[in-house]
Formats: sequence, C-alpha cells, structure tokens
Amino acid sequence: MSTPTLTSAGAAEAAGAPDGPESPELNTGATGRSSFSSVVARVPRAVWPLLAFLVLFGVGGLIRPNLVSIDSLIGTATFAIILAIASFGQTVAVIQAGIDLSVPNTIGFSALAFLTLVGPLGPGGAFVAALLAGALIGFLNGAVIAKLGLTPIVTTIAMNGLLFGVILLAFNFSELTVTPDFVIAITSAKISVLGLTMPAVLPLGLALMVVLQLVLSFTGWGRSLFVVGSAAETARLAGLPVDRIRITGYMLSGLLAAFAGIVIVGYYQQASATMGASYLLASVAAVVVGGASIFGGRGSVVGTVGGALVLGQVSTLVAVLNLGANIQQLIYGVIILLVISLYGRRRA
Amino acid sequence: MSAISPTAAGPRWWNASGVVRLRREGAVAPILAFAVFFIVYVIINPSLLTRFQLQTAANLVVPLALVALAQLVIVLVGGIDISIGAIMSLANVVFAVQLETMPVPVAILLSVGTGLACGLFNGLLVAYGGLPAIAVTLASAFIFGSLAREVLDAPGGGVTTEIYLATSGELLPYVPVSLVWLAVIAVLLWLLLQRTALGRHIYGVGSNMESVRAAGLNAKLTKLLAFGLAGVLTSFGAMMLASSTVTGDPRSGDPYLLSSIAAVALAGAVFTGGRGSIIGTILAACTLGLIGNLLFFAGVNSYWQYVISALIIVAVVGLPVVWRKVAFRVKGIRS
Amino acid sequence: MTDVSPGAATTVAAPADALLVATELVKSYGPVKAVRGVTFHCNPGEVLALVGENGAGKSTVAKMLAGAVTPTSGSIVVGGEPLASGSVKQSRLSGVRCAFQELALVPDWTVAENLSLPDGAPLRGFSQRKAVTKAKQLLEEFHLPHIDPRAAVGTLSLADRQLVEIARALAGRPRLLILDEASSALTPPGVRWLFARIRELTAQGGSVIYVSHRLGEIAEIADRGTVLRDGQVAGEFVRDGWTDDELISMMAGREAERFFPDPPARASDAVVLSVDDLRSEGLHGVSLELGAGEILGIGGLQGHGQAELLRALFGATPAVAESWTVGGAPVRRTNPVRSVRRGLGYVPEDRKREGLALEMSVGENLLAPWYKAYQLGGRPRLSLEKGWIDGILTALSVRTRGANETSGSLSGGNQQKLVFGRWMNRDRTVILLHDPTRGIDVRAKQELYGAIVELAKQGVGILWFSTEVEELVHVCHRVVVLYQGQVADELVGHRLTADAVVGAAVGATGGLNLATGGAPSAPPGASATTSAHAATSAAAAPSSTTSGGAR
Repeated sequence: MSTPTLTSAGAAEAAGAPDGPESPELNTGATGRSSFSSVVARVPRAVWPLLAFLVLFGVGGLIRPNLVSIDSLIGTATFAIILAIASFGQTVAVIQAGIDLSVPNTIGFSALAFLTLVGPLGPGGAFVAALLAGALIGFLNGAVIAKLGLTPIVTTIAMNGLLFGVILLAFNFSELTVTPDFVIAITSAKISVLGLTMPAVLPLGLALMVVLQLVLSFTGWGRSLFVVGSAAETARLAGLPVDRIRITGYMLSGLLAAFAGIVIVGYYQQASATMGASYLLASVAAVVVGGASIFGGRGSVVGTVGGALVLGQVSTLVAVLNLGANIQQLIYGVIILLVISLYGRRRA
Repeated sequence: MSAISPTAAGPRWWNASGVVRLRREGAVAPILAFAVFFIVYVIINPSLLTRFQLQTAANLVVPLALVALAQLVIVLVGGIDISIGAIMSLANVVFAVQLETMPVPVAILLSVGTGLACGLFNGLLVAYGGLPAIAVTLASAFIFGSLAREVLDAPGGGVTTEIYLATSGELLPYVPVSLVWLAVIAVLLWLLLQRTALGRHIYGVGSNMESVRAAGLNAKLTKLLAFGLAGVLTSFGAMMLASSTVTGDPRSGDPYLLSSIAAVALAGAVFTGGRGSIIGTILAACTLGLIGNLLFFAGVNSYWQYVISALIIVAVVGLPVVWRKVAFRVKGIRS
Repeated sequence: MTDVSPGAATTVAAPADALLVATELVKSYGPVKAVRGVTFHCNPGEVLALVGENGAGKSTVAKMLAGAVTPTSGSIVVGGEPLASGSVKQSRLSGVRCAFQELALVPDWTVAENLSLPDGAPLRGFSQRKAVTKAKQLLEEFHLPHIDPRAAVGTLSLADRQLVEIARALAGRPRLLILDEASSALTPPGVRWLFARIRELTAQGGSVIYVSHRLGEIAEIADRGTVLRDGQVAGEFVRDGWTDDELISMMAGREAERFFPDPPARASDAVVLSVDDLRSEGLHGVSLELGAGEILGIGGLQGHGQAELLRALFGATPAVAESWTVGGAPVRRTNPVRSVRRGLGYVPEDRKREGLALEMSVGENLLAPWYKAYQLGGRPRLSLEKGWIDGILTALSVRTRGANETSGSLSGGNQQKLVFGRWMNRDRTVILLHDPTRGIDVRAKQELYGAIVELAKQGVGILWFSTEVEELVHVCHRVVVLYQGQVADELVGHRLTADAVVGAAVGATGGLNLATGGAPSAPPGASATTSAHAATSAAAAPSSTTSGGAR
C-alpha cells in the first residue's frame, strides 16, 4: 500500500480551514435562521389560537356583516368559555404528559352529586362536596397512574366507566330539577361588565383562566408539572417528588372537571347521566388546538381558551351558514389535523 | 457477564411451546380471568349453555372482539386509535345502506373498503406524516363520525333476515355462526401475525422502531399496513354488529371506542407496543362483554357492570405490578 | 475535488480497484455539522480503522456508509457503483452490512427472529421452527453455541446482544462489514472471537471498516487507518507505521489539549459517604468510603455495575446495604427526593432523557431540583435567583443566549454543563457523576474538570464514574475498579496507573493471566478458565494510551 505513513494534523491545519470555528459546538447560533422566522418562533404558542379566532371572526363578518357585533362575540365567547372550563382539567393532564378521559363522567357525577346534596347540605356545602368528589376522582386516577404504572388512557377510561355505573346506581334523576340560585348567579345570570351585558360565566371563566395560568407559570408546583411532563425521568433524577406532582395534577384536573359540571348545570339548568359525553373528545380538541403538546411539557390554559374560542366560532359560523352539526364535527376534525400538522410532531 | 460463559440450562423445551410467548405477551392473566369468570357464569346461570342464550351471548361479544383485535393491531405498533368507534359507525352504515340497492358481496366489499380507507388515512398521517397517533385519530374520529351521519342520519338501512341468519344464526346446534366467523378471522389474523414476516415486523415496530429501521426494514410501511389491517378488522366488527342488530346505526360504534381500549388493556397488551396476544384480547372482550349478562342473571342491577368492568381492568392489569413490587420487597436484593 | 478541505488535502487518490470510496462526506444536523468533508477509501480484503475521540464523527460516518443516515452532501461508491444513500436495505443489497453501536436488535424478537427477519419481503411466510434451525446453524458456524436462538433478545446480556448483532452482520457474507464500536461490551475472549471472524472474512476477500478508539485493538487488527477529529480527516496511517503518541496527538489535536488538573489537597478527612455491602440489581456487595473534598473515581468495563452503583447510591433503583451513611447520618432505604434532601446530587448518564427537560429554559433546568410546590417558579423565580444562575453560567462558561433560552437548542457540552451546574453552590455533600465528559468537546471537558476540582476544594465528596481511564488516573485521588458488580481493586498513590485500572477492569487483579486461551466455543468444562478473564487486546488499548499521556 502506497499511502504515506503519517500525515500530521499540523500539516492539515496549515492547509487552512476557510470556516474553522474553534469547535463544532460553537456553530449552533441562529446564524442560519432569518430574523422573521426567529421572531415567529418567539411568539408564545397561546397567541396563535387567539389570532386564528380573530381571523375566523373576520371571516364571519365577511359572510354576514351583522356577525361582527359585541352580542355575537359574547354569544360565541360564552359557548367557548364553558367548553374551556371543561377543558382546563384536561390541559393540566396533558401538560404532565397524560390525558384525562374521565372528564365526561366526572362532569356528570359532580353535577348530579351537587344537585342531590343541595337538599341535605345546602348549596355551599353541596358545592364544596362536589368539588371534593372531583378531587377524589382525580386522586384515584393519579394514584393508579403514578403508583401502579397503568397508562393514563386506560386508567381514565376505566374511571370513566366506573363513574358511569356509579351515576346510574346512585342518583335518582326525577328529583334533580331545581338548580340553586347561587349557581345561576355565577353562571347564566346576566351581569353588566364595563357596560356590556353578559352571562356571569364569562368573567368567571376568564378569572379562573388567569388564576390557573398564574399557578402554572409562576409557582414551583406549576413548573414542576411542566418538568414532569417534559421529561419524567429528568424530574425524578433531579429529586422532584414526581408521584406527588402527578397525583396532585390529576386531583386538580378532577377538581376542575367537577367545577365544570356545576357550571354546566347552572348554565343549562339541566342534568343527565350522559351530560358530559360530548366533552370527551371536545375537551381534548380544545387543548390540542390551544397549542398543547400531546407528548406533554407544553400547553397553557390561555391557549385552551383560545382553542375553545376557535371551536366556538366554527360552530357559530356553521350555525349561521346552516350547515348542520355534522359538518361542524367534520370541520373540528380538519382543524385538529391542521393544528397538529403545524406543530404536533414529536420533538427531534 | 462473560460473553462466552456457557449457559447453564440445557435445552429449554418450554421455550418451544406457545406458553412462553403467551406469558411474554401478557395473555396469562386475562385467560385465567376469563376461566374464572366463565365458571362463575355457568354456576350462576347454567342456562348459558342452551342454544338460544349461547347464540345471544355470541352475537353480543363478537363485534366487540373484532374491534378489540383491530385496536390490538394498532397498539402493537405503538399507536392508539381514538377513531375506531367512528370507523365502525361508518363501515356499519355503509354496509347497511348499500344493502338497500346493491348485492350483498358488493356491500361487503364497500364496507371493508371503507374500513381500509379510514385505516390507511390514519396510517398515512401517523407513519409518513410523523404525527402522534392519539391526536391524528382524535381528529379523524370527528371526521369519520360526521361522514357516518352524512351517509345515514338515523338507524335504518337494508339489512335482511337472511343476512342475520348468515352471520348471527346457528351453523349447527350449539354452534353460533358468529363464533365461527370470529374463529376464522382470528386464525387468519394469527397466521398473519405469527407466520408471516409482516406480522413479526408489526411486533418489531412496536417493540423498537429504530432497531427495525436500522435492520433495513421498512418501518413506516409496516405501520401503515397495520393501520390498514385494523381498519379492515373494524369493518368486520361493524358488519357483524349491523347484521346481528338487523340495522345500520350511525352511532353504533361510539361505545366501542372505550370498550375496545379496555379489552386490549385487560388482555395485558403493552401500550408502548410490541406485546399483546390475539387469544388474550378475544377472551378479554368476552369477559367484558358478558359481565352485564351475568349480572342480569344473578339478579343484580346490571348498571353494576360498569363498575365491575373497571375494577376487573385495574385488578388484572395492576395486580402483577403490585405483585412484582411486593415480591421485590420480600425477596430483598439477595440475588 | 475543487474546494479542498484540510483533511482531503493530504488524502491520496483512491486506487482504481478500491472497494469503497467515500468522497467529501458532509452531515449537518441543523446548524451543527457532525461531519465536515470526510474522504477515504477501503481496498478489498483490508481492515480499515476509523479512529477518533468521542464526538469526532466516526459513528456518523459509519451510519452513512450503512445507509442509516443520509449524507447532506458527498458521495459513496461501493465496487464502482454509487451507493443508494439513506436506505439500510439498499446498502445491505449491495453487500454492505453494519453492526451498530446502539444495537439494532428488536428486544421483543427472539434471536432467531432478529437473525432472519431483516431479509426478504414482508409478505413471505415465516416459520419459527425454520428460523430457529437456521439461527442455530448460523450461531454454530460462528462458534456461538451458547446463545439460545429461542430467547428474546431483551433477556440476553449486553455482551451476548453485541455478539448476535455482529453475527447478523456477518451472516450475509458481506463485501464490506462495518463494525461501529462493536467491541465496546465484549470481554477479551469476545474480542478475540471477533478478530477471528474478521480474519475469516478478509481471507475471503471481504473488507472491514473497524470504528474504534481502542488503540490496542487497532494495532492488532487494522491494516490501515483514518483519523477523524471534529468531523474532519486529521490524518491517515498504515500498519506498524505509527506510535500511540502520534495517533493520540492526531486524535486530540495539540498536545496541550490533553491537560488534566491535579486533584486538590484535602482539607479534612471527614467521611461524607460510606456504604458497606451494597446490593442491588447488578451489584453484589460493594463497600466504599468517600471523604469530604475527595475525588473518588469508579472504573471498569461497560456493564460491570458502575451505572448501577451510582443509581443505587442516589436511590434511583432500590438497594440495600449492611450499613450506609451520608454525611454521618444513617440511611436505610432511599429515593431521589430524600437523597437530594440529604445533600446528594447526581449527573445521570443520558443528559437528553435523564438530565434535562429539553423544552424548558436554561434557568429552569438549573432550578429543577430546587422547585418547591408552594414557592415561586418560572420567571419570577429566575429573577430572584439571577445571581446564582449567572454565577453558574459564568463559572462553567456555558455558551447560551441567557437563562431564558430553551435548553434543547444548546450543544451537547453546554447541556452537560447545565446538568452538572444545577448542583453547584447548593450545599451538596456528595455529587455522583456518570461519565459527564463523554461525547463533549475538549474545551467543555477542561471546563468540567475545573469545576469538579473546584467543588472538591469546597469540601464536596465526588464519586466519578468515567469511561476514560486517563481522566480517572489524573484527576482522582483514588480509583475503585468494579468487576462483575463487585470491587475488584482499589488504586491509590503509585499504584494508580492506567495499566492497573485496566487490569483490574478485566478481572485480572494482581498480574495479568495471559495463559488463558480457548476459543469462545470452549466446552462447558472450560468455563472456569474463561471466567478468569485474561487481558490481551482490551487491556492493551487504554494502557498504551497512557504511555503516551502526560506522565
């Protein structure tokens, strides 16, 4: 073989490297990116669904100019905020890389438990009891997931089934007709905010959103939840109490679903065993459209409200155009596909 | 630790038998659970073994078993199908509506084609689009469900008594036709999964996608085909359901979403993929499907079935975990 | 070749009959260039070594040849025909096979399935029995009768899995066999087995590309070699035409870059960690003591209990011990939460999966262990702790745009610094390090050494497992070598040499027993001798490295 025995490194370097940074690692700066895309990348994800909502709102205005009105906006926002309240719990579950498919029957269970307990405990007592029941449901979910290691999907499906049985066995539906006044006062009662008349549930939902977002963004618990969702093993080896964080996360999720149940009872003033059924897929849809990553570690309740607004505006448009509920579902599906194809890929 | 230390054990005969595979695929617990359940059932209600009740029970269980098998195939490649109920509804109404005008074989082909198309749609987005299965199938659940109600907006369709008899009647005394169909499909599926390279690829993709790709196999195509296969299996379940109820219903598939996942979980399949058994899934579907029946005959409010099903799932799937933890504590770390 | 890169400048044009010609291979991952213009060739019947330090781009080049990675630019020609890039299947069909470093075996498949399934069309019948028969035949042909073809690969030991991976690559009688760190988990007899197979293949005219950084193995098997550094060709060599010193300086760049700081003088002899008869999965009674301000190295071959030891001490896997104290206080059972509370810190093996939350910011990753549920988190907490965070980022020279940058966009070395930095200046008594310098560049290594020594000066006890023997020998006060889950030897003072570390790592305490021979196919009766592993090639590798070191 005629190869020279040794060609020294020094000689190679003397030949001169035109683009020789000290080490390849230094090359990672944003040199390749255009300033536009780096600006776009810095926009918080929660902004996108809100922008999408505004675009859809404008589209609505093009179709029917009378749609661009405060009343129409409040109508859509009210529908959306109820969906959002039902999806807040789901958001918390998805952030920690889980999912809560027991939302529907937690809603039903808490609503029926609330109505049943108003008699013996009074409205306040019944309210607290229903929320506690939701937290307990969440605790059971979280304990099975964290301690037994069952997958969240299976655990919460089993819980959903179990709750359905309990609902059918435990409640006497014919007696549950009277909705207490104070619940109506915080949901469907018309109140005036800044001179605008709107159902009380709208400011209530927005206030809840602000509180939850503050908890998720600015508390140790909230950030720990994101660490757990982003990389559970990292959280464990950093010494975070992963099981406790998971369980409290599911407890919050259950508590919020229970709250949603009471809100739904207050707003629609009716309750049934299957009242939560439509929220099974819709809650996940609102969370996904709101920009949360189904793999965990990413999501916000502001985004979820935005996602719910998008879905709400679609349903308004569908109603205006008289397309029927079926087409609305179809459009929901297409929107979710669009959203996940935009940013649903697993991180590299 | 040595690379070349001779293995102490001699020839392992039990390795050759299917028992090891069943154990690895997590099927032992659901098989035992079914055996216990079946004995309890026959004690409480010996008349299960009459011709009429056997036929009714079979017709109840077979659609669930077929859809659960479809869900199993997707779980094997590490996915999950939220749209399985919607696919079932769609294939169901396509079958029922086409029967009004078309000959039976054409209706069957169209229904199977619908299932296949739905499965491939999901599969394309998951395998080649690189999107998470749970989100893709969530979206397609909305889409397929809406399509189903476009095809037929209320229960109806042209399912005839002949079709009922051909799928849900009796072949011989004590042999319900539906069980025969289930057996045929299950054997074919078993042959496909265990006796063809594709089947082993499906298990491999779920076990470790990167390894399969590094070995030079087409992991994406395998995933796509698994979704297509699941669509076809779902359409079989849909047609069995339409036939046994003699009607097409655009919402008939909805309850099967949760129960198919429950059956696969009860079958001991691993949701990250790669492990799960056909026989375990069928027996898990039988257990879940018949709990309501059993309670009815035991004189218990059959609403308890929801509670009991949930508890059985958590017990069967959770007990081995608890057992391992306890065993580790007791045994210490002496070895 | 128009634009000549430094490496290519010195490469002699490939002979016409070369089996493989790789020209100007480039691979970039986003802004990071892993390989920047690599050119080399391989002749029929020869063993070409591809050497370089961790992170030099060897594995990426190997994967491009195997078809597992598509080159960003450049060409690969095998036997005169261009190789279809980016398809393992196409590469296999053109007779190029690879045994991968991260094993490409499916854990839930049996050995037989793993050996037979990759060939042929998917819609072909598959018989377990036939596959087992074929696999048995193949394993016997390759002198591996101890591997049960019916066993699921996931149940095999790491070494056995590596043997199966190599057997699978050999099975097709490839024209070109790529072995990517294929000996990393093998014992010395396993390495001899591998060399016998390589010689069989080359005798039949096949070529082998041997990717490794073990110089001893390269001296024995390689006909020619190409040295990579920072993704470029740093030079070439032929058999017997090189010395360890030359090769090492070629791999590392300048001599000065291999500077190791000395361990600091110890101020107190208090014991911060002591454990007696620690048992866990893969640990069979380990006893050790760690003093305040002491740097205690853990050595050994891969898979002999080092990872398990660190995880057990941190409580990440369950373990029991006769007696166990941290900072003087007794420990019974522990878990990571309690360990952190007791003053432990742990830098795990896989920084991307176990060390960082890649979607979260640099600052939050540093703060992760210090989040309490009821306290502030997020940006308000970052501004509260700005002093500490900036201190860490400066002390370790983390190259980042600030505490709010996503940690996933940092380079490997800087990510590793975050995992390490989160334990600095936080009142730690003991820090457990799992090979923190693996796969990071020389400068980041220097900065980590400095930080480790600095921590020791502050009185923190440091338990440091490293795969790089030189680090242990130079920076540690004392080194404990593990072998088969037990302490094989403790080296201190003049006994602390690379030769001694490597000798103990292969289980040859008190002198190397070179007499042990026997092919891997040794009958069961020979097991007593094979377990007393002699060290030839593996031992030679790092020890020869040291002779070229700074001592």
